[in-house]
Amino acid sequence: MSKSVKILLVTLCLIGILSLGVASAAERPFRTNWSWPTYIDPAVGSDFSSSTALVNLYDTLFYPDIKGDPQPHIAESWEVSADGLVWTIHLRQGIKFHDGTELTAEDVKFSMDRLITIGEGYAYLFKVIKSTEVLDKYTVVFHLNHPFGPFEAVMYRFYILNKDLVMANIERPGPYGDMGDYGKQYLLTHDAGSGPYMVKAFPLEEYLLMTIHPNYWIPIDPNAPDEYKMIGTCEPVTVRTAMSRRELEIADRWQPVEALDALEKINGIKIGEFDSGLSYYYMVNTKKPPTDDIHFRKAMAWALDYKTVINKVFPGSIQSRGPVNQSLPGADPTIFQYQRNLDKAMAELKQSKYYNQLDEYPVVVAFPSVPADNEKMALLFMSNMADIGIKVETLKVPWASIIEIMASEETSSHVAGVSVAPHYPEAGSLLESRYKSDSVATWEQNEWLLDSKFDAMIEDALKTVNREERFVKYSKTQQYIMDLCPTLFIFDMMAKHPYQVGYIDWPAARGEVIPVMGYNLAGRFIKVYPDKRAELLK
Amino acid sequence: MGRTIKFIAKRLAFSVFVLVGLSILIFVIARVMPGNPARMALGARAPEWVVERLREEMHLNEPLYVQYYYWAKGALHGNFGISLVTRRSVANDIKAFFPASLELALYAGIFMGIIGIVLGTISGWYANTWVDNLVRIISYMGIVTPSFVFAIFFVLIFSYVLEILPTIGRLTPGVVPPPSVTGVITFDALITGRFDVFFDALKHLLLPAISLAMGPLSQEARITRASLVDNVQKDYIASERSCGIPERTIMFKYLLKPSLIPTITIYGLDFASILGNAFLVELIFNWPGLSRYGMNAMLQKDLNAITAVVLVLGLVFIIANIVVDLTVGYLDPRIGLGTERSSE
Repeated sequence: MSKSVKILLVTLCLIGILSLGVASAAERPFRTNWSWPTYIDPAVGSDFSSSTALVNLYDTLFYPDIKGDPQPHIAESWEVSADGLVWTIHLRQGIKFHDGTELTAEDVKFSMDRLITIGEGYAYLFKVIKSTEVLDKYTVVFHLNHPFGPFEAVMYRFYILNKDLVMANIERPGPYGDMGDYGKQYLLTHDAGSGPYMVKAFPLEEYLLMTIHPNYWIPIDPNAPDEYKMIGTCEPVTVRTAMSRRELEIADRWQPVEALDALEKINGIKIGEFDSGLSYYYMVNTKKPPTDDIHFRKAMAWALDYKTVINKVFPGSIQSRGPVNQSLPGADPTIFQYQRNLDKAMAELKQSKYYNQLDEYPVVVAFPSVPADNEKMALLFMSNMADIGIKVETLKVPWASIIEIMASEETSSHVAGVSVAPHYPEAGSLLESRYKSDSVATWEQNEWLLDSKFDAMIEDALKTVNREERFVKYSKTQQYIMDLCPTLFIFDMMAKHPYQVGYIDWPAARGEVIPVMGYNLAGRFIKVYPDKRAELLK
Repeated sequence: MGRTIKFIAKRLAFSVFVLVGLSILIFVIARVMPGNPARMALGARAPEWVVERLREEMHLNEPLYVQYYYWAKGALHGNFGISLVTRRSVANDIKAFFPASLELALYAGIFMGIIGIVLGTISGWYANTWVDNLVRIISYMGIVTPSFVFAIFFVLIFSYVLEILPTIGRLTPGVVPPPSVTGVITFDALITGRFDVFFDALKHLLLPAISLAMGPLSQEARITRASLVDNVQKDYIASERSCGIPERTIMFKYLLKPSLIPTITIYGLDFASILGNAFLVELIFNWPGLSRYGMNAMLQKDLNAITAVVLVLGLVFIIANIVVDLTVGYLDPRIGLGTERSSE
């Protein structure tokens, strides 16, 4: 055998070995991709990927339905005192954590105390909790500082930990006194929950792999994923390749329009669209000239071409109707919508004190460099404003710089293009986080509204325990904001997730959307059909 | 041998000063960058007292020199603080991320070395022929094209169209990694006799490693070629030819060795650069490497992680340079290790 033939044979053997596939052990794997990192400690995580992981690993007292209304979950029943200050929760009996121990009121109290002490993640939602008391093994009482209407809704973000497991894994010394590190190092890569999935492997730098909890207290459909993997990448080429090879079941919602178009052309892949709860705003600084003038702001609101935005720049999105995303309970569907009307824009502009000095007051619009479509939006805004003589300068910056810019009134730009999601599924969440005085200097408010009347209105609404009365008050605050025109309410964002329609059944893509971040990717509601996947792979 | 040890000891002693200087520089730069790292880590809605507690924990309210004192004290004990992004110790992060990048750089280095030198040798040997021109064009393309473009191109060809190589991570889902001995999966797989895992890891390594190697190997090919063409005109080669020594012997015994000196000098620097510059390729292949970790640390103003990553990369550069100097000294004893002069 000649030398070259030998080399050829060795090369062919090597290629053959390299081509050998190593099959996944799971029968019904379910894989999604995310921007990283993901925190699975309920007292730390609060972003989209962390929220999704937490929903799968832990149980909550209440569970939202597709209207966002609370349904009994670990809480079997509950009552609230007449003054709205005491919530008594009766727990379901026989719920088992992943290690087999029973979930009791002690675990609930421990989890709440831990969350408030650590103060990170979703802890800001629970400032209202004064103390937690264990009445008996299955009854827990929350004492509030003041009445808080959306109490059940914020509880969707309260995840119950296995107290014994966490206590057994505390590292001392730590920043929390006797509690050492409060189990933070352990919970970085392990769960202590009772949810439908449990952690199997979590190399922080790569993926989170969860496996189904075989003894979950609610029967799970036999076609639900037996393994759930969250992969830390959003790179479009990687995502497209993995989707085409059926190695990814649902892709992230940040894929650019071009990538979505390419994915939709692949057999068995569809774009699942639903209202994400996110709204995209042009937050207008009400304290800085020339946008401190209400007529100037209204002129901008009339001049913007909303139709082009929702048809061309962010296709598939819906024009916003006021400050609250319309998918949220408590959003007022009758709120006024601006449409592009240059005559009305000019009429407003003429009433502005800056009308004769437009060249001296260019409007700076700052926006995050990602996603790339933000720039198209800014250029459209620039073009639209030029139609009425307003000069616009764009400022494209990394997200970290947006936070920095918005941190003070001086550095804050005239306009900031930012999308904001509610912290819990109610209008009050957005109204509070977007416009209340204590949210200035954060990335959620560039308006610098600092309006004491609004503060009083929203505080009163949030303290109203009766849901219908509360929603009426929400409507009034939305109208109040509209009158001030501190924001260009541009569009409610549709979440567009490419998914394998050929072999998975995803309720959210069928329209059964839960308006709480993370809940639409609860694995127990998703079904995977391996036979259909095999067909697509042929 | 004694001379070599003396050389290494001297260089390592100098490198301590370099690392201290580097640590001070990066420590200051990271802290004067805009942004409150504690606020960025905890999010916009975290209460002020929580942000303040984290600032206290990280000594961020102290003057810079006091902060550096605390940091240096910890670093001397192997404690580089806690990462604000991963929330675990930076030392553990480095331990987890560095082997992944090292593995990538090692395999990229193999491609760089073998293909670059072979192409350069062919090009130099057949200088000014169509072979030389072809290699020149390929090399120029390799040099001017960023590695992430190669990465995307390779993913599209080998994963999307041909479907023969994977795109995500270091191992196929379901494959249990070997017990970690070195952290480099292919090495660990061989050590523990897990040959299936070795080949699976190799399959995952191919595309990112070749993507990273394309630029440097093209550069090495050009340098090898230039050096060969330069040396082939020297008198000693003419003398060997006149003695009737076969061309192949001249090439491999007398010409290649001295011609590789500039290539090896660049090779060492390229190898070290790969570790620091691979973030886009690591992102595309979801490769859990140090470069991507460092990039995220920069974006999130993860102070401890930034300083540690820069120090590790600095250390790699220092070691790579020492290895290069030793190799060059071996290849050309006339260059030596510079110890005689200093000892005189």
